[in-house]
Amino acid sequence: MYVQLDQSEPKDFCSSPLPGNPLLCRRALPGEGAERSCAFDGARVVLMPVTDAAHLIHGPIACAGNSWDNRGALSTGSQLYRRGFTTDLGENDVVYGGEEKLYQAILEISAKHRPQAIFVYSTCVSALIGDDIAGVCARARKKVSVPVIPVDAPGFLGDKNIGNRIAGETLWQHVIGSRNAGAPKIPRSINLIGEYNIAGDLGGILPDLTKLGIKLQTAITGDARYTDLTQAHRAALNVLVCSKSLTNLACSLEQQWQTPYIEASFYGIEDTSRALRNIARGLADRGLSGWTEEYILRQERETRQAIAPYRERLQGKSAVLFTGGVKTWSMVSALTELGITILAGGTQNSTPADFERMKARLDPAARIIEDTSAAGFLTLIREKKPDLLVAGGKIKYLAHKMRLPFLDINHGRKRPYAGYPGMITLAEAIARTVFSPVWDLTRRPYPPARGGEGGNEDV
Amino acid sequence: MSIPAPLTADWLKTEEYRELNFARRDLVINPAKACQPLGALVCALGFDGCLPFIHGSQGCAAYFRNSLSRHYREPISAVSDSMTEDAAVFGGQNNLIEGLRNAHTLYKPKMMAIFTTCMAEVIGDDIKAYLENARKQNALPEDFPVALAHTPSFKGSHITGYDNMLKGFLETLAEPRRHSTHLRLYVVPGFDPYPANLREYKRLLNYLGVTYTLMPDYSDVVDAPNTGEFKMFPGGTPFSALREALNASGYLFLQTYSTQASLKFVKNVQKIPTEAVPIPLGIRNTDRFLTTVADMTGRRIPAEITAERGRALDAATDAHPYLHGKRFALFGDPDILLGLTSFLLEMGGVPVHILSSNGSQAFAKEMEDLLHASPYGREGKVYVGKDLWHLRSLLLSEPVDMLLGDSHGKYAARDAGIPLVRVGFPVTDRVNVHRYPIVGYAGVINLISLIANTFLEDKDRNADEAHFELLR
Repeated sequence: MYVQLDQSEPKDFCSSPLPGNPLLCRRALPGEGAERSCAFDGARVVLMPVTDAAHLIHGPIACAGNSWDNRGALSTGSQLYRRGFTTDLGENDVVYGGEEKLYQAILEISAKHRPQAIFVYSTCVSALIGDDIAGVCARARKKVSVPVIPVDAPGFLGDKNIGNRIAGETLWQHVIGSRNAGAPKIPRSINLIGEYNIAGDLGGILPDLTKLGIKLQTAITGDARYTDLTQAHRAALNVLVCSKSLTNLACSLEQQWQTPYIEASFYGIEDTSRALRNIARGLADRGLSGWTEEYILRQERETRQAIAPYRERLQGKSAVLFTGGVKTWSMVSALTELGITILAGGTQNSTPADFERMKARLDPAARIIEDTSAAGFLTLIREKKPDLLVAGGKIKYLAHKMRLPFLDINHGRKRPYAGYPGMITLAEAIARTVFSPVWDLTRRPYPPARGGEGGNEDV
Repeated sequence: MSIPAPLTADWLKTEEYRELNFARRDLVINPAKACQPLGALVCALGFDGCLPFIHGSQGCAAYFRNSLSRHYREPISAVSDSMTEDAAVFGGQNNLIEGLRNAHTLYKPKMMAIFTTCMAEVIGDDIKAYLENARKQNALPEDFPVALAHTPSFKGSHITGYDNMLKGFLETLAEPRRHSTHLRLYVVPGFDPYPANLREYKRLLNYLGVTYTLMPDYSDVVDAPNTGEFKMFPGGTPFSALREALNASGYLFLQTYSTQASLKFVKNVQKIPTEAVPIPLGIRNTDRFLTTVADMTGRRIPAEITAERGRALDAATDAHPYLHGKRFALFGDPDILLGLTSFLLEMGGVPVHILSSNGSQAFAKEMEDLLHASPYGREGKVYVGKDLWHLRSLLLSEPVDMLLGDSHGKYAARDAGIPLVRVGFPVTDRVNVHRYPIVGYAGVINLISLIANTFLEDKDRNADEAHFELLR
């Protein structure tokens, strides 16, 4: 079900033919579950936070009906990105093709909703019936005043990761550098690649950057304006926050625009400090490095002070961690900083590098979750009996059924955990579930010894 | 369009735009419907030990589980056979066979329900033949019960999928009808997002002393008690009842638009005595439900139910000034809209805009007849095949006092500055809504309270000091 870290190398379990798939986590087997989303969803996740763009889904109701406004990527400006545009393909479209409908839909959006750009997503159906999305986008572009960008990531291509990567390629090909291509780099400016501003995470990072004199050109993509994205090539440094499958984007940008990149995480005190330090170093600015160190010292001290009361109470609690991307490893540090021991860690959507990093940070006695199905999960939880489960929303109610305190760490969460202030919010959120009196309530034996026949409940 | 970009947001609220908006043809904005396989999944959850098996792309399955989990706040079990590009070329037979084998071994269900996503439908997978081959290859025991349904998302909506799956269960797993049938009434709830509604039906039927089977019944699956253990199959209509389903003494359907094909199958093909009533929402519809059950079974309505009805009437008389004359907009699935409208009309509420993304012309006609039969229904207009962006135009150009519908309506309600009372599927931003029945006499009291108290809450929140009163 799961393996001891020291007993085997992850690659032994990995026979996936697809590059970029997480180690230990082979492709979903038919019939083993329904945990993983698709390439279409992966592309949506990366591009949807372009907030002043319209996102048009060329497919049947399934794809848009289930996904419009379903993520917590917040915007401080335009709310247009949350509007659920779809061609809602019907039976006739499947038979006769949906290209004309798509063309008209693009014109309608451009005329009435005034987006800065229109992203057009293909789906399983549009791809299988052979609609030429790129062709329609090119044709429509001649009629409308804004860029019309095809995103060719139909769901059947595979996992979310593949869609993430395709979205990155789309941005590289069609968006970044499409304006002011020859303009010089902006001094002390960065892009945050793979930062989606879930629950307003950027709010925990931006003030630090501003105080240090670093300009955020854009997050790719989180709370993003299209115009800022078109000039993302002018940033002096790319900071890869969620490495997942956007690493390819960082590499492409380095090759084409000579923008160096570093990897970083803003979850937890140490990682946030390391991120700021490395950004200063990456910008090759001695002055900046100097005052960054001072700033970090002060922030760390203040944050540690703020979380001390939580740490005192959480010391010695144990957790199982199951997430994806950068959180795979950065949550290990964040939880450790709160005094929490991690009994087991696992991931479905991470790169080999993310996985290796998690492994390096985990206690050698910790388990690696290999069986990521519901069945495997239940066995793990029964055996380990952690005080806390940190995972994505899909597992939340399973945890509640098991009377296990749960922290949603993925896109369904409503609170920002990034940066120094995010660490305090995280501590508070963990305490709120771990110390809830509701768990004691659930464990009261019932029926009471003197009671009647109320059925025997396992406690 | 000559509107300057910064003014677009305001312009989208105008009468002028409303006209253009309703002329919109090729684009749907903020759809208020889900797809067939989601409905099929909900149906399949209602059979005991049944594992929903999604033949098609894995992303769809993940979406369904997410959507349902967010509404019910419950783990939702389902598997997919994860078809990918190679399956698009060669067909999904290998995925289906391997998937059945794995799912059967891993989760040990008592039965499975196979239904399809668009992908399998576009490439034309023959799931019936695939299933036979799966049995030949010993992926499943020879007699293991499996129901089949084709549920392409490019046709109909979640209510169509629910219906197709239910018909699939009856066609594939129920034994042929014999001459001598048993005295058991089969009650079909239809696509109902409230487990509490299903419990309410059972409570009333138990009071009546009827021998019945509620089918499908997912109330114990999506509203399971917290015992400290996760049970993958915590309940539902048992296989034995499904097997005997065509030997029913009669069928009673509590919704018609979400059960059309199944209703036709039992009534016209199987020739089983069948009645269909509107969803028992409101006093009149509940009366009709109970009298129909009494007529079909020869039981009498007991005093307890009569007393309950009296209490609901008392709640209605006490609260009537808060609802009488108020103007409402409603959106959602056809059956629930018919029930809500009937309820509003009997309380003197004025339904103004009634919008159903997945409503048919037949539904529009039935709704119009219902509206015309009441003096409070004269202003009501029915919109079928329209989306929530149309609804927004309606709310902004012809204001109402309240919107009734699922959580997706919150944006339009906010833009119009009116409260949204959450009714329907999905409700993802309030807790426990699905745990309060809106059907039966108990449902009448719950609905009145929800609506009247929302108005009163608004009044308190917006009152100046002089009008902030203890008595409302």
